[in-house]
Amino acid sequence: MMHHNKGSRKWQNPGRGQGRSQSQMKENVKTPQRGDNTVPRGVCQTMCPARELHKRESQNRLHRFEMAVGTEKDRRPRADPLRAVKEYSRPAAGKDFANSADLRPPAVLLKTVCYLIDEVASFKFISVYSFVFDRLRSVKQDMIIQRAHGPDCVAILERMVRFLIYASHRLCDEPLQLFDPCINDTHLQENLSWLLDCYANETGPHPNQDEFQALGLLYNLGSHRAMQHIMELPAPLRRAPAIMLAISINRSFLERNPVRLLRCAHRLSFLQACALHRHVTASRKDLLLIYSHGYGSRNCRFPLDALCKLLALEKRLTSTLCQACGVEINADEQVMFSKASFSEPEQEKLCCSLYHNIVAEKEKDLTISSIINGRV
Amino acid sequence: MAHITINQYLQQAYEAIENQKGTVCAELLSFKHPHVANPRLQLANPEDKCQQVLEPPYDEMVAAHLRCTYAVANHDFVEAYKFQTIVSHKEENWALPVMFTVTLDLRIFANNAQQQLQQKGKGQPSEMLEKAAEQLMSCFRICASDNRAGIDDSKKWGMMFLSNQLFKIYFKINKLHLCKPLIRAIDSSNLKNDYSPAQKVTYKYYVGRKAMFDSDFKPAEEFLSYSFQHCHRASRKNKRMILIYLLPVKMLLGHMPKLQLLEKYDLLQFSQVTKAVSDGNLLLLNEALSKHETFFIRCGIFLILEKLKIITYRNLFKKVYLLLKTHQLPLDTFLVALKMMRVDDVDVDEVQCILANLIYMGHIKGYISHQHQKLVVSKQNPFPPLSSVS
Repeated sequence: MMHHNKGSRKWQNPGRGQGRSQSQMKENVKTPQRGDNTVPRGVCQTMCPARELHKRESQNRLHRFEMAVGTEKDRRPRADPLRAVKEYSRPAAGKDFANSADLRPPAVLLKTVCYLIDEVASFKFISVYSFVFDRLRSVKQDMIIQRAHGPDCVAILERMVRFLIYASHRLCDEPLQLFDPCINDTHLQENLSWLLDCYANETGPHPNQDEFQALGLLYNLGSHRAMQHIMELPAPLRRAPAIMLAISINRSFLERNPVRLLRCAHRLSFLQACALHRHVTASRKDLLLIYSHGYGSRNCRFPLDALCKLLALEKRLTSTLCQACGVEINADEQVMFSKASFSEPEQEKLCCSLYHNIVAEKEKDLTISSIINGRV
Repeated sequence: MAHITINQYLQQAYEAIENQKGTVCAELLSFKHPHVANPRLQLANPEDKCQQVLEPPYDEMVAAHLRCTYAVANHDFVEAYKFQTIVSHKEENWALPVMFTVTLDLRIFANNAQQQLQQKGKGQPSEMLEKAAEQLMSCFRICASDNRAGIDDSKKWGMMFLSNQLFKIYFKINKLHLCKPLIRAIDSSNLKNDYSPAQKVTYKYYVGRKAMFDSDFKPAEEFLSYSFQHCHRASRKNKRMILIYLLPVKMLLGHMPKLQLLEKYDLLQFSQVTKAVSDGNLLLLNEALSKHETFFIRCGIFLILEKLKIITYRNLFKKVYLLLKTHQLPLDTFLVALKMMRVDDVDVDEVQCILANLIYMGHIKGYISHQHQKLVVSKQNPFPPLSSVS
């Protein structure tokens, strides 16, 4: 449902803190020039407005999570009002988005998010992702229309960011029709920058701020904007352990020291490792590239065991990665680096989830709801 | 001029518009001109008066401008900002000077309004500036899409001024990615070399800074050097601002500034950094960076200066080589050198990684032998001069 017009980039939900978002917001969501007093306030007390519930029931457009138990196999399944959630619907001319009966106030939005995470997300993740993603998107739309702010808003955004970061790791090798990393990334960036804006503008306390500042930097490793943002935080906050670790990983990245980066990565928490994960394969490749030059003399040999340790990979995976990068390994388990033979691997050849060990070993006993609710 | 009546003022405006005198007109709408201090012009409701004398859309523009002077007189920048936004509108080419002053004032008011709002604890941190950028952007689009044949009266002449104003905002709100379309538009325009020197200096200053943040140091050096050399010698403050970014870029490319230059422009914050990098003194570099941390962060160059660490490693390792006077250097010696610099949390694996990177970047000619735990360097020119590398 969310994929069919991704080419046009119209799906971009307006987030605050994006340069062009202010104007987009006015176009997308019809809230023409309202002052603070006329911002719509939601009164809907259920996760799904009654009108939408009946409409989708009569049109046979209920998700299986929203059907009344026992009616799923019927020709026209009935809706379960306690489990139906308002779906995302694209802003269009003539639609009234400001109808307060269709909008949920922040407290109800937070309850909706918790329901999605606690009750739905624990099923097989790949099969519920698009449902949860879509319903979270409608939560965000309701927040934007109501110009939501305050503690509930922060709590919602924090959970959304955790969910999207988790998905970016967990689903990264799924086919495009099940998981689109680009769309996931866009929403993640929007929610993250909105959340960071909330921290900057609203009087706290924000007990999770250090966690999310660190996640933001790890996810956007090496990005000038993210680094400058971190540097401008008040010094006491910057000294929080999570942020210090993120900064030192970022520094290793800047100095192009993958050995150090991969070592530091072991000290990350599970979600932090998820945020970093998209840079880890690149770092490993970088290490092979640098070593192809540094150890590129013809008679030099580098023991495979030592390389495995540096890459934090088991032997089999190290060999696969070397092969993909054109790095030879001889029969005595000696790596023969050479400037000339290193080649940038094609994207498809590198199946990312093969190299998930750093992240995976941290996940062991965690449940999805504990990860996303932040009770780790 | 300072104490004319409203009627006299409107008469002047009328004549300027009638005769298409852009500069005069611009002065009459500028906040740098003395008339804005004239209390006889500071009216809360000047619309009727303006309509009597001027044709639309000028009546509305002048009225908005006068309301704006009223708001500024009352130190209400948020109000002032609102009125200023009404003033900026598309015009013919002769009115470009008007657009320049009006948009310049708009940006300054947006800035002030922002500060005022923030003091009151209202609004998003960059809301006002973002809105001002939108206004400027709509002016930019009008200028860029002017396709008339005669270059002389093309509105394209306004593009560089506007993009400079937009750069200022984008840098302020830390949204550099928005600069790209502007740069592309100017690059593809056939006027790009013919704008006024002042505009070009500003333009290259920002494009250079952008290149620096994208780690394109060679182009960054070119742009910033141009800007520094062509900046008017009387504009010391501007030259200093250019240097703040030119210095780190030059240092990364291996050119260390002289002490006199730093003294002349009151930039001694850089002197310790320079010394540390040249001496390969990591300890001093870390000290210097943390001592002036606030200054460097405010300028946005802290992270660029951290990149100097790589060159500092190179200089330190070169010293090791000069001391040992051999071409086969045990890896342990580098570890000892690093420990002397109180880089305590490294081991020999990391030393190898640092060395491999230096070889990869071309700072060291040689190879590492894992079997013998040695760095073997070239007999000729093992540490090529920094300026020849990269």
